[in-house]
Amino acid sequence: MSDWKLAAKFLWRHWRSGELRVLSAAIVLAVTVVTAIAVFADRMDRSLQRQSNAYLAADRVVTGRFSIPEQWQDLVSDLPLEQSFTAQFGSMVFAENDMQLASIKAVAPGYPLRGDLEVSDVPFGLGNEVYFADGIPEPGEVWVDSRLLPILDIELGDTLAVGNRDFKVSKVVIHEPDAQQGFSVTGPRVLMNYADVESTGVIQPGSRIFYKWLLAGEDGSLDEFEQRIKPELGEHFQFRTLQGSQRSIGSALDRGKSFLMLAGMIGVLLAGVAIAIAAQQFAEKHVDTVALLKSLGAEAPKVRKLYFTQMLMLGVVSSALGLITGEFLHQLIASSLSSLFGVELLPASWTAYGLGFFTGLICLLCFALPPIWPLPTISPVRVLRREINIEQLSVRTRALIGLSAVILLIAIYSQDLKLTVTVIVGLIAILIVAVGLSLAMLRSSGQLGAKAGSTWRLAISNLQRNPGHSTTQIVVFSCAIMLLMVLFMVRTSLIDEWRLQLPENAPNHFILNIGANERAPLIEEFTAKQFEFNPLYPMVLGRLVGKNGETFSEEDRDLSNALRRELNLSWTDSLAADNNIIEGQWWDQWQSVDGENGVSVEAGTAQEIGIKLGDELIFSLGGLELKARVSSIRTVDWNALTPNFYFLFSPGALDDYSPTYLTSVFVPNDDKRFINEFLRRYPTIVIIEIDRIIERIKAIVTQVSQGVELVLWVVLLGGVLVLIAAVSASMARRLHESSILRALGSGRKLIVGSLWLEFSLLGFASGLLAAFGAELILFALQSLVFEATSRIHPLLWVFGPILGAFFIGLLGAFACRKTVTVPPALVLRELQS
Amino acid sequence: MRILKAQQINKTVTTSDGQLTIIENLSLSVEQGTSVAIVGASGSGKSTLLALLAGLDVPTSGVIELNGKDLTAMDEEGRAKVRAESVGFVFQSFQLLPGLSALENVMLPLELHGAPDAEVRARNYLERVGLGHRVAHYPKQLSGGEQQRVAIARAFASEPKVLFADEPTGNLDSVTGATVIELLFDLNREQGTTLILVTHEQRLANRCLRQITIDAGAITSDLSVDEDEIRVELSE
Repeated sequence: MSDWKLAAKFLWRHWRSGELRVLSAAIVLAVTVVTAIAVFADRMDRSLQRQSNAYLAADRVVTGRFSIPEQWQDLVSDLPLEQSFTAQFGSMVFAENDMQLASIKAVAPGYPLRGDLEVSDVPFGLGNEVYFADGIPEPGEVWVDSRLLPILDIELGDTLAVGNRDFKVSKVVIHEPDAQQGFSVTGPRVLMNYADVESTGVIQPGSRIFYKWLLAGEDGSLDEFEQRIKPELGEHFQFRTLQGSQRSIGSALDRGKSFLMLAGMIGVLLAGVAIAIAAQQFAEKHVDTVALLKSLGAEAPKVRKLYFTQMLMLGVVSSALGLITGEFLHQLIASSLSSLFGVELLPASWTAYGLGFFTGLICLLCFALPPIWPLPTISPVRVLRREINIEQLSVRTRALIGLSAVILLIAIYSQDLKLTVTVIVGLIAILIVAVGLSLAMLRSSGQLGAKAGSTWRLAISNLQRNPGHSTTQIVVFSCAIMLLMVLFMVRTSLIDEWRLQLPENAPNHFILNIGANERAPLIEEFTAKQFEFNPLYPMVLGRLVGKNGETFSEEDRDLSNALRRELNLSWTDSLAADNNIIEGQWWDQWQSVDGENGVSVEAGTAQEIGIKLGDELIFSLGGLELKARVSSIRTVDWNALTPNFYFLFSPGALDDYSPTYLTSVFVPNDDKRFINEFLRRYPTIVIIEIDRIIERIKAIVTQVSQGVELVLWVVLLGGVLVLIAAVSASMARRLHESSILRALGSGRKLIVGSLWLEFSLLGFASGLLAAFGAELILFALQSLVFEATSRIHPLLWVFGPILGAFFIGLLGAFACRKTVTVPPALVLRELQS
Repeated sequence: MRILKAQQINKTVTTSDGQLTIIENLSLSVEQGTSVAIVGASGSGKSTLLALLAGLDVPTSGVIELNGKDLTAMDEEGRAKVRAESVGFVFQSFQLLPGLSALENVMLPLELHGAPDAEVRARNYLERVGLGHRVAHYPKQLSGGEQQRVAIARAFASEPKVLFADEPTGNLDSVTGATVIELLFDLNREQGTTLILVTHEQRLANRCLRQITIDAGAITSDLSVDEDEIRVELSE
């Protein structure tokens, strides 16, 4: 029989006897958690890369004020690239009685190459009424922005004229992938077929038209295209690719991935501890077996090969099983998060699965092999003289090997040296503190035990018998409970914050471009309808061009988005409730020197541009220069979805710049029709529905935390595995002791009671330690990340130890049930033989 | 033909009280096919002697030859090979693997040595020890006597030249012990195996053709008995 076949046979026998279950389960768990996270992160990575390309509606775009020269087709004829065209221009559109300036976009077949065009058959459609368009408008048809319908007093199916041509309005456009981000004050959208443009006759020489040539395909072809087209572009065309803001999506994604991977790392670490305990137990059990095998004539290399082959097989099979369960878990995460993306998730690359598989083998190599390694060195004389034992690798050596595995895995997962070092140092610090605290708790329990009754004494002496195992379990459980606590608190407090900020009647519409003469009637109408609305803020568009007498340079502009675009400038005399002055004074205390204007700057922007209190800022408003002295720095709650501004001027500073006004209002769902009527009366006002945004953000918070929670439950499962491994390692001793106690007449009650107490104490200590750790993490999160006032969470301190004691007590007593169910005579006889 | 020869062997170990001599200048030789009982009080060194003779341990000095091979000149790998080829064991504590069925326990040495007909041979030996109907039972489902019968089947299944037995009836009551002794000697006779056993049970020692008594690591008496005398003794 070949050695492999023999090893497989032995493995099957060991499996059957139940010795390998915890070991295998721990490997499966480690591989599951890493595979699920790696595969999900990989798919998300690839899909988001693709989805961010959706902001362009393509992978690459050539734009220009002239139509794309036909001869450029020769440049791409041999490249496997998809292409499409769009042309965008402003034009008046006409219905029977009304007309309106619209932003017309003509699209060729294939549009959009990336992302989805969302349409509806219901004006202002929400939820299920919205679907992805299966193509572009047919020739002779247009799809329009919902708000155009009330302006022109038409319904879907009616006719609308663009230039010389009549079109049937067949759908409303809800969302275009390449729509301008932010609040653009252009006319409502009319989407038409590219082939229809000429027949409208609206394009004349000199018309302001914005042409786009959209391209999509594999990176290689796109790079080739870029090289060929760039020399041809001249000054009238630009080549566009994803830059700037999309980069931040990438880094946010990377951070998210690192966080998930590190959460997964804790799962792997727990699994590693379970593997090490289970492997140690396996090795102890097999000392006699190996001695017997050697007495039967098996040489040490053969024994080594036999055992290592078994471990390898176990590792491969368990890792393969872990890949399957990881795939399943990732599907669960993906299905709970998929609606966040709006695009189909792309399949994962094989490296993601490879990472999971590799983790399983590394865990086995570094956690399971060290205890098993010296097994073949046992002397065969042990069959006759049981006092002979093997020399195990020292605990320190084994801990070092385990730690190197952890460092290696963290380095591979994070691919970031700084992060790896930070995490390792953090982990070691946490471990030292946790081990110190749990040892202190164990020691103090000794004094307690000395004064307590027999049940307590038995429980406490069990805990103290093996301080190594007890400490490991306390540390492991406290880590798992701590993570769950943090997630729970972050999620509930995040959602609570949202609920607080978005009560039932949170503003669901932004109203922009309100003319000065429209303010009074608008307030009157809203008041009559009993709508809740925010004050009307004046708004002037302007650019920030300089500071303290100097104009910003190109480099300065590259650093800050706020310097590259037109800003919404406003003024107000009352500070909004969600704004906080952190430096300087608000207008009620601020003193203008020599009639200077004052400006209050949002803290993030001030930091980004390097603005300090007292700086003089120079703005350009429609070509006119405006200077203002920085009087205060404010924090703003951007989550509140109420109008907020980077720059708020002192009252009167912008009086000469003919502002428009903006506000936000809550319109109940029943009153949505009112918006149509309202827009008909005030056609120049722009309304942005933010219900959809709110819905989406709420969904994101819930779904992301559900996804993370799934991972954390698996991590907790790792904790349970450690408990099972530790219990089963101590089972022989527990059985022996309980048999003797029962043989001597101790009741079941005493033994069950002491088990319950032992594990409850373990759970209580873990809960207490977890509450302490969670409180520290929450403090850091609140003060550093959420920038909120930190507070103590008494619930953690109450429920952490109580629930920890209850569940771990239950779990431990259940895992040890054999100690009272197996007849003592049987145990004592088995132990004798 | 001589199967086993020990010359001037010594075994000393280091303890916290200094050097302790367990076997001192001991020499003996054993002919093939015979049965030898090593008897002596507890701590007399008989189990150590068995371990040395079987190649499980090495003497501090002296030479041991088993089946013509010098065990003392070999490393552990070499001795393992000799054990695989020529030696079988029966232990006081049976040494059955708890996770393996009776059949699998008997198959174990055969599988280790790559015997292609391991299962057939194991079944055959289990039949011979009267456990053909319990092949699928695990050790904990068997009585002490049955477990020792499985161990005997395992020892004989690899058809060793020398069978070493360490207190084979030590964990059994006298009736079960007698059955096990009977089985051991029957198989020994059938297969022409050399049997070397350590015991403090006189009844078992009396069944052997030769009785070596040791005390403080040295042979104090070495008596050979005629086979016919044993038969007479038994019939009486």
